Amino acid sequence: MICTGCACLCDDIELENGKVHNACIKGVALIKKAQNTHFTPVADGRKVDGEKAIDEAITKIQNSENFAIYGLDTVPLRAQQIAIDIAKKTEGYIDDASSLCMGVFVEEILLERIKSTTLEEVRDRADFTLYWGADPFNSHPRHISRFTYYPRGQFRQKGWEEDRYLAVVDIRESYTSKLAKKIIMVENDEEFIQSLIDVANGNTPSAYLRDAVELITRIKKSEFGVMFGGLGLRYGLSDIGLLKNLLDELNNLTEFYFIPMGCHPNMRGFNELLFASVGELNSYSFRDGIRDSTFSFSSLLTKEQIDTILIVGADPVASLPFEIASKIAKANVILLDPCPSYTSKIADVVIPTSVSGIGAGGEMIRIDGKKIKFEAHSLEEITDEYVLKRIEEAI
Amino acid sequence: MVKLSPMNLYQLLPKTNCKECGEQTCMAFAFKLVSRERELVECRPLMEDSKYAQQKKELEELLKPLEDATETGMIIYPERCVGCGNCVVACPVNVSEDPHGCAIGLGPKNDRVILRIVDGKVQAYNVSTCRRFGKNKILCNGCIVTCPTRAIEFAEG
Ligand code: SF4
Ligand code: SF4
Ligand code: SF4
Ligand code: SF4
Repeated sequence: MICTGCACLCDDIELENGKVHNACIKGVALIKKAQNTHFTPVADGRKVDGEKAIDEAITKIQNSENFAIYGLDTVPLRAQQIAIDIAKKTEGYIDDASSLCMGVFVEEILLERIKSTTLEEVRDRADFTLYWGADPFNSHPRHISRFTYYPRGQFRQKGWEEDRYLAVVDIRESYTSKLAKKIIMVENDEEFIQSLIDVANGNTPSAYLRDAVELITRIKKSEFGVMFGGLGLRYGLSDIGLLKNLLDELNNLTEFYFIPMGCHPNMRGFNELLFASVGELNSYSFRDGIRDSTFSFSSLLTKEQIDTILIVGADPVASLPFEIASKIAKANVILLDPCPSYTSKIADVVIPTSVSGIGAGGEMIRIDGKKIKFEAHSLEEITDEYVLKRIEEAI
Repeated sequence: MVKLSPMNLYQLLPKTNCKECGEQTCMAFAFKLVSRERELVECRPLMEDSKYAQQKKELEELLKPLEDATETGMIIYPERCVGCGNCVVACPVNVSEDPHGCAIGLGPKNDRVILRIVDGKVQAYNVSTCRRFGKNKILCNGCIVTCPTRAIEFAEG
């Protein structure tokens, strides 16, 4: 069975006598929650049956003048595609969490301006791994053991002590940095990137001299290097061009790749699907036919520009800053989600759907671009795909 | 929290070297507590003299994990474990017994491995194959240094 608890999409999970094998606690929490929650459909404060809730959602969408769809990063590709079709038909807005996190990195990769690779290649070949502004031990608990540092790989048979080098660049120490052979704590990411570029070019940097020299020396000695960029890097970077320059320089020294540390299991899938249909990754307005940062979900909320929101598999009331999240309740909110959440408390229509990988099969695109197929484990609840299809056919 | 080591145990013992326990010194007794050749109740002064009551309580607290330790002295602190699998993948026995599972980062594909993750927490099986077990034991630390939360410790350090 697959776990959709984070972007690792671990596919070696087994269930036996009520016990979950091989998943980390994050995955176990998701799987057990999915098995144990009894979540009932609601329409305008009344408990109803699922079909009735879907009908109510359809009515609200049909009556809407400014409609937005948000979330989608935890559901399979087919459901995402139908959601995009709904946004097109209603001339609505569509956005996911990538506008606030890894979207900029994914865009550079899709436009082939940054070289990326797959996690399996990293496992088989990488002898230099750098986590920059990420703490996978917390966010992606099995990332380090499955792909980057501890596993043996085709060309890395001797184990981590001899065969691999792990470095962490971050603003503070973390559990991940405790495991690394080198940790560099930086206050200013751009300054350190510039220092690395300088050293790679044989120049003396104005800051971080020793650390930059040590890292560059390591990279020169390695055969296959990879950098995982997390939220720390994303927010420390005002100019993506600087990162691109660094990666180009590192590629002059050795084979070097970049993979974003996205958290959601199918964020990249949404980005790729929207990219394939309109050439943009997120924050898209079908009415205006363009993407703009003012069409990101948080901007739309700030400006109180939407009257009805369809939220799929996300909990923006909990995840967005309070001033923005507090505006969600002003609109009609339709929520599709497996479990009760802060958003379900304020939603006008709640349609419980199955957890991807447990009650829903399909395909997802892992953050490194690899397509992962999976089957449903049990078929008890209705799926996001079913609900979205019903909506799409009705409008 | 205080680590379970002979030195830390010694600090809490009466330190009178009265020999009632059959050991020459309290330090020797502390070592044998850790290797589980002695039990705390064998220190009579500690058990009987009320002035040691607080130390007795602390010692019992400190020694508690040893009750569930495996024969190799491995102590697992499940509340610290997140099931990341680092120890599972790095353990040399897991690697050699399971080249197509644990060795390449996956869950175990057979029952011969020592460490595996169940319900998100590490569990130990087949401990007699652990490199720390038996006469030819070596101080393997594969599962200790790969765990940043120190969820696995060995009584003998
Ligand atoms: S690492 Fe992520 S995908 Fe793998 S078991 Fe844990 S939560 Fe699930
Ligand atoms: S009986 Fe207690 S106090 Fe006496 S030597 Fe042994 S450990 Fe020390
Ligand atoms: S001590 Fe070594 S052999 Fe024993 S469980 Fe830990 S890593 Fe494996
Ligand atoms: S004991 Fe430590 S290294 Fe092993 S799975 Fe638990 S947290 Fe990870």
